[in-house]
Amino acid sequence: MRLADLAQVIRSKNAGPRRLTLDVMFATDADYQRVAQSPALSREAVAALYHVPPEAVTVIPYPAGRAIKLVLARAVMAGDPGDSDVYGAQQHAPLLGIEL
Amino acid sequence: MSASGRVLADIRRTRRPIRLLGGSGQLGYGIPAAAFAAGLARRPDLIGCDMGSIDIGPTYLGKGEMATSPAATRRDLRRVLTGARALDVPLVIGSAGSAGAAPHLEATLALVRAVAQAAGLSFRMAVLRADMPRPLLLDALRAGRIEGLDGMPALTEADVTDAANIVGQMGMGPFRRALEADVDVIIAGRACDTAIFSALPVLLGFPTGLAVHMAKIIECGSLCCVPGGRDAILAELDDTGFVLESMHPDRRATPTSVAAHSLYEQADPFTVHEPDGALDLSAARYEAVDDRRARVSGAAWRDTTDPTIKLEGALKIGERAILLAGAADPRFIAQSKAIFPKLAELVRDLVCEDTPEDYTLRFRVYGVDAVRMVVPPDEPPPGEVFIMGECIAPTRERASEVVRACKQYLLHYGYPGRLSTAGNLAFPFTPPEVSLGPAYRFNVYHLLHVADPDAPFPMTVEQV
Repeated sequence: MRLADLAQVIRSKNAGPRRLTLDVMFATDADYQRVAQSPALSREAVAALYHVPPEAVTVIPYPAGRAIKLVLARAVMAGDPGDSDVYGAQQHAPLLGIEL
Repeated sequence: MSASGRVLADIRRTRRPIRLLGGSGQLGYGIPAAAFAAGLARRPDLIGCDMGSIDIGPTYLGKGEMATSPAATRRDLRRVLTGARALDVPLVIGSAGSAGAAPHLEATLALVRAVAQAAGLSFRMAVLRADMPRPLLLDALRAGRIEGLDGMPALTEADVTDAANIVGQMGMGPFRRALEADVDVIIAGRACDTAIFSALPVLLGFPTGLAVHMAKIIECGSLCCVPGGRDAILAELDDTGFVLESMHPDRRATPTSVAAHSLYEQADPFTVHEPDGALDLSAARYEAVDDRRARVSGAAWRDTTDPTIKLEGALKIGERAILLAGAADPRFIAQSKAIFPKLAELVRDLVCEDTPEDYTLRFRVYGVDAVRMVVPPDEPPPGEVFIMGECIAPTRERASEVVRACKQYLLHYGYPGRLSTAGNLAFPFTPPEVSLGPAYRFNVYHLLHVADPDAPFPMTVEQV
């Protein structure tokens, strides 16, 4: 099963112009637990997916919202020349196909 | 007595819960009428609207322009001004004109005065300014009291002097001062979105942690609900918690939807840093009141001994022109990555014959890799692509010259194996080159350490 088939929300957005925050949210506690306890969204897995060093990734489990938050440093500051996504709203795509 | 004086006196006397209406998280993009009217019918003690964000990028801040259209902004301002005056409650608007610097604030004030005149409204208005005085910043920089945020390079004196606009995010203090000045309307430049709503309850002695947590949620309208939306939201705050209720009947504030909202656009769902302290949400509790109302409690507030102001500044980096075109030839699409550097050389030799290479040029191929940071290696090629060329040059004429040369030489570029020798590009219209005006980047995104985080935000009061 892919992450996109289980999660209720998979989204990305700026958290300030220098960081990207990716939220993966689930409909049930069981779905949340299944992913939270798997290595699918570990720091190393996310770093490999986005081609950044593991130190550039923070993973924050947030059970109150049945969600896992990922925070990445942006390679290009929002709005700088060469930025492709000023709001950071389309950087979630690599997460969709993660196999659970 | 004006609205803020009346509400302060009333709640100090009765010590009842306070009701705040989040009118809009993005004033100027349209405020749904039915939910706003439903909110007014609940007789809130304050109507607040956020009008800006750093998310929109550096150009609005640098150029001094609003992101919203004047007509839509005027319509929204008329709605919230007439609503607040009908109830005689304070209207508080933060981050005026999208970026909250002087030109944005002045444009917003001009619209407010025009709306008031057309609607026959008269009121006392406090104006809070957020432009950071350059001498203050230079002094702080030399004293080592400015640090970069999230890995931002150290600020230089040139950054301070050359930025087109530099604003600071004001916290609760300036709003508190305005509310105490007995006014009906507060229009603030760049501000923490929370301060719009938290200043009044904190001034009245409600717990700061609860007030700021409530503010953080309702500044986005009904976004914390399922389904989320832009409709007005009502919060009722007492001494132990607050209840959230969307003013749209189909939007439900559930414990999970409200808890999840703490994730939105935040790197840390448990802590929110403000100028004069930090909101700690690690003990926050979310409970259902019924199927469309949630009660929230448990947030704590930690005062700081080291107050800070978040600074935002934008620097002009040139004039931007772009080229827009499509392509559907598989051979051209497959080779486009190799074609663009060669095209850039060709264009450089032409436009730099008698002028230095004073511009930057880049191409994005939508359909291939223009959006994502990382593209899977085995992805099949698309049937068609959209190409955007972008030039940033010292003048509008120079940027336009470069993209026009790109258009012609990319259209006719000869590459190995080319079959379509009449042209490589499909233009949806001509001219396909567009001059976008000045380009900016954020050159200030720093924290200023100050003894008094309220001092740099002057207030004036006027009768409208």
